[in-house]
Order: sequence, then structure tokens, then C-alpha cells
Amino acid sequence: MSRPPLPAILALLLVPAWLVCGAAHGAAPPPIAIVIHGGAGVIERSKMTPAREASYRNGLAAALDAGYAVLERGGSSLDAVTAAVRTMEDDPQFNAGRGAVLNQDGDAELDAAIMGGAGPRAGAVAAVRHVKNPIELARLVMEKSPHVLLVADGAEDFALEQGVALVPREYFRTEQREHELEEARRAEAARPAGTPTTHARALSGENSRGTVGAVALDRDGNLAAATSTGGLTNKHTGRVGDTPLIGAGTYASNDCCAVSGTGQGEYYIRQVVAYDVCALVRYRHMGLAQAVHEVVQVKLRHSGGEGGVIALDRAGNIAMDFNSAGMFRGARDSHGRREIAMYPDSVAH
Amino acid sequence: MYAIAIHGGAGAVPRATLSAERERSYRTGLEAALDGGYAVLERGGTSLDAVAAAVRLLEDHPAFNAGHGAALTRDGAAELDAAIMDGRQLRAGAVASVRHIKNPIDLARRVMEKSRHVLLVGAGAEEFALEEHFTLVPNQYFRTAERLGQLESEQRGERVSDLVPPSPHGTVGAVACDASGNLAAATSTGGMTNKRPGRVGDSPIIGAGTYAKNGVCAVSAGHGEYFIRAVAAHHVVAAVEYRGLTLAQAAHEQLHVVLRGLGGEGGLIAIDRAGGVIMDFSSEGMFRGVRDASGRREIAIY
Repeated sequence: MSRPPLPAILALLLVPAWLVCGAAHGAAPPPIAIVIHGGAGVIERSKMTPAREASYRNGLAAALDAGYAVLERGGSSLDAVTAAVRTMEDDPQFNAGRGAVLNQDGDAELDAAIMGGAGPRAGAVAAVRHVKNPIELARLVMEKSPHVLLVADGAEDFALEQGVALVPREYFRTEQREHELEEARRAEAARPAGTPTTHARALSGENSRGTVGAVALDRDGNLAAATSTGGLTNKHTGRVGDTPLIGAGTYASNDCCAVSGTGQGEYYIRQVVAYDVCALVRYRHMGLAQAVHEVVQVKLRHSGGEGGVIALDRAGNIAMDFNSAGMFRGARDSHGRREIAMYPDSVAH
Repeated sequence: MYAIAIHGGAGAVPRATLSAERERSYRTGLEAALDGGYAVLERGGTSLDAVAAAVRLLEDHPAFNAGHGAALTRDGAAELDAAIMDGRQLRAGAVASVRHIKNPIDLARRVMEKSRHVLLVGAGAEEFALEEHFTLVPNQYFRTAERLGQLESEQRGERVSDLVPPSPHGTVGAVACDASGNLAAATSTGGMTNKRPGRVGDSPIIGAGTYAKNGVCAVSAGHGEYFIRAVAAHHVVAAVEYRGLTLAQAAHEQLHVVLRGLGGEGGLIAIDRAGGVIMDFSSEGMFRGVRDASGRREIAIY
């Protein structure tokens, strides 16, 4: 019996699986998809003007299309979520990177995480103050360090070692965020004596939950998730929310799904929200939408936690759910779906 | 039935390098922490008070990698992480990268009880400590001659264990179930010897190193980065809740299938509402102890 020559076998092995399947069955290539969010509960509908809405939509569309373009040219899901999140970090409307909300000292203190479903691998940074694109530093932690999470000055030291230029704190501050901080401080000062300590200050309100995030599926079937945030307006210095915590605000595994959350971080941490979505899919055999619904509409709502979740699985199923007034979100895939939405019924194609 | 289990780190514990004298010191330290935590339960105290008491004793003991005697960063400083979780209402508090807090577990508890937050890090966490009238201590307080020696060996390129004198992955932790059936978990660590400043492992990450939910609670002791990626402590809880696995099966699967598959090793201790305790590890040894109302009282290393 003659054997096929070794190079032929190697060549076959190198052919992407979808090409082989496509040739055999005449089927379409496997799906690619990206889903993003720009925060949940960010702006009450009554305060939204047409101009503001158009501006947010443009910002979301730019991030969605930047991420999708990476996937479309065969790029990895890690590159796609990085591109989408970086776009929102650079857009001052969103609470991440430039335009992030300010803490009690008037500084932006930024958190970000990225996770690749193959491995899985993960990297995160928290409480950094001079890193223009925290999502890129999180990725360097994943790729160039043996660690998963670096915080504060140590994370910035690592950035310098990696040749990442630091930026002054002023870079992140915008007039809008300074105004919001003033308002939060006034509300704090007006708080009746005897109610919560300085740490238990009321932190709700506009823009307090405007985290950004993305999940993506690439041609090779790899999932990825990324999330970035400035946290809460007037937050205690050093406060870290769910965003950079693997399992809480960010999670991806190829044997399950990719998830990014946006909401009241403390609830997401305690309930390990992102990982719980995966655990329900894997162990309770729920569909992706059902698992996301269970976590957002039942578990989080029951505990009093407000926010939303976006998720994506290897079949290209997309879930976007929130229990807040709205969630800035967008989805695009190779089946031709492309939508940007803000409120429960405001889907626009 | 009330019960408490503690660990003082998991990893390579070469019998040859562990002198009889040293072993005695570890055993004495573990016993003191175990009995300190158990005494709280015995007098009707909460599981939360019990795990805090046990971990505080391990933090104060220089042989364990937490508090006084913690492993040192590459800059020669101690940088400490801790977390505590109350299974009743899923309340949790944690601190990371603090350098001047004598008992990080006490600060983690204060974050849980007096702030709206779960995790505070670095200088901000210490600012909170001052606001809460904690007395800060100089970083010098944490450094021991032994840890400095280890750091120097590591920096000369010799692999040292963060545990032994012992510890590749020395962390301390405790889980407890009180007479009312409430569960709590606590973890504290100095992390890895010669670690990069700012590196945070699994200990202060709720779900990775520490998790407590009414039915089950778990803390891990191992190579932090792997435990973070596997969301190890929560995975054990989820495996019991969603798949009906026993605690022993869930811990075994996590350590010997999931983490081994990722290339990570370490240990887990877990407890359920009936006071049933699991202490499992995939490393050579784990400093551990368990004591319960039925009269069981054990300290073990291998």
C-alpha cells in the first residue's frame, strides 16, 4: 500500500478546517462575529438628545467596525477585541481611557482585562493612571509576563519596561468628567450626617457605569473578551471593580463562550458573573441567551445589581442583555447582522 | 456541625530539606491557628470571626508566607494581598498590593464591612486603612532574615521555594462552618518570592482564590496565575451547585484535571454546610489542618 507523501499530509493539516469542510459540503466559511458594549445604565432616555444619541451611535459604530474589520481580513479575535476597545478608550464619550470618570482625587484610575479563549490566556491591569490604552497594557501582561494581573505603580513600571510611553494624568480628564466629579462631591457634601461613611458614598448616577467591552469570534474559532473602564465617579482611590478580574467582568474559554460585563462592579465580583454565564452553559446546558438572561435578569436583579452582559459562543450565537434602563451596544457578524442599540427597543440596522 | 480547616501553603515540600525542628515549628504554627479559629466556633462565634482569627495567627507567624514573614518582591519589599468572604449574603472584601498593613485580613474585612467596595489596591487601600484608624507599620516589620536570604538566592538565579523554608506558592487560608451552618473563607499571602511589584495573584480575587456561597466554600493554595485563569474557587462551588458533584469530586476535578491540564499545581480546602471538609492538593505537600465538633483534629503536611 503506497502512502501519500509527507509534504501532502502536512499541507492538508495546514489547510484551515473550514476550507476542507467548505470544499466537501459546499458550506459557507465558519462565522465571524463581534459584539461590543459602551456601558449600561449610562444615560436616562429622558436626558438623551438626538445630537448626543447620534454621537454615541457614531462612537459605537466606529468601535464595532474597527473590530469587525480585523476579523474580516482574517485577524484574530484578540486583535479584534483590542481594536474595538482601544477605539472606545480613545473616544472621550466613553468611561475608559481618555474621558474616563474621575476618582475622589480628581484622577482617572483605569482598569482593563483581556482573555483569549485558546489556552485560556489572560492579562489585566488595575489602578493605572498614566497608560493611554490600558487594554494594550493588559495584553502585554498576557503576552510578555508570566502574570495575569498587575496593579498601580508596578503595572506602570512594567509598561515602561515594555516600551509603552506613559501620558500625564491630564490626558484623561475632560470638562464633562470634571463637572460630574463636582456634582458628585456636592451630592456627597449635602448628604445628611449619620448616613453612610465617606466610603459608602452614593455613587450612582450618570456615567457611573460606563465600562466598555467587546467579545469576538474569529475564523479559526477562537473566542476573546476584553473590557476597560475608569470605574465610578468619585470612587475611593485604589478601588478596583469587576472589569480587570478574570471571571467577574471578563472571561473567555473556547470550550464555552466569551463574556464582558458592564454594571455595578461589586455585584459582578461577588457573583463571578462572567464565569457564571459560562458555567451555566457548560454545566446546566443552557443556551447562551438563556444563561445570560438567568445571570442578568434573575441572579443580578435578585441581588440588586444593575447592569448588563454581552456574550458570544463558537457557533456565533450572540447575547446582549441588561436590567438597567439601557445599554450602549452593537453587534456585527458574517451573516450580515449589523446593529447599534441603546435602549430595549432601539435597534437600528 | 461546626468545623474549620486551614492551610499554610501548598507546593514542593522536600522532606529532606525540612528538618525536624522546622517541621515542629510549622506544626506548632498550624496548631495555634487551627485552635485559635476553632475556639471562636466553640464559644458560638461566627465562621467569619473564626477564619479571620485563624488567618491572623498565620499572618503573625513568621514561617508562613503572609503578614510577618511574607515573601519579598524583587525590590526587597513585602507586598500583601488578602480576601475574606461571607457565604451568607455573598459579601466580600479584599485588598491587594498593600505594604504597611500588619494584618491584611483585617483590612479586607473592613473593606467588606465599611465600604461599598470589594477590592481596594495599593496606596488607595492604605488610605482607606488610615481613614478607618488602622495603624500602619513600616515595611521592615514584614521582612525576616530568612526571606531576605531567599530573595538573594532567587536573584542569584537559584530556584527557591516560596514555601520552604518552605513555599513555591505559600499562601495561607481558612474555611469554616459555624453552629448556624454559615460558611466563610479567608486567604492572605505575600505572593511569590522575587515577584514584580504590583503583581497580584489569585488570593484577593473573589472566585479565583477565595469563594463562599451558602452551600459550599473554598480557598485555594497554589500557583496564582493558573488559579485565576481557572476561576478555581468558584469552579468548585459551581461544580457542586450545577452538576451535583460532591465536594471531594469537585475539588479533585479542579486540581487534577482542570489545573493540571493548564499546567498549574497547588491545593484547595473546602467545606460544606454539614461541616464536611475537603483538603486536596496536586503538589508534593500542603501544610494543613482540620478540627471539628465531632472531635476530629488533624495537622498534616504530606
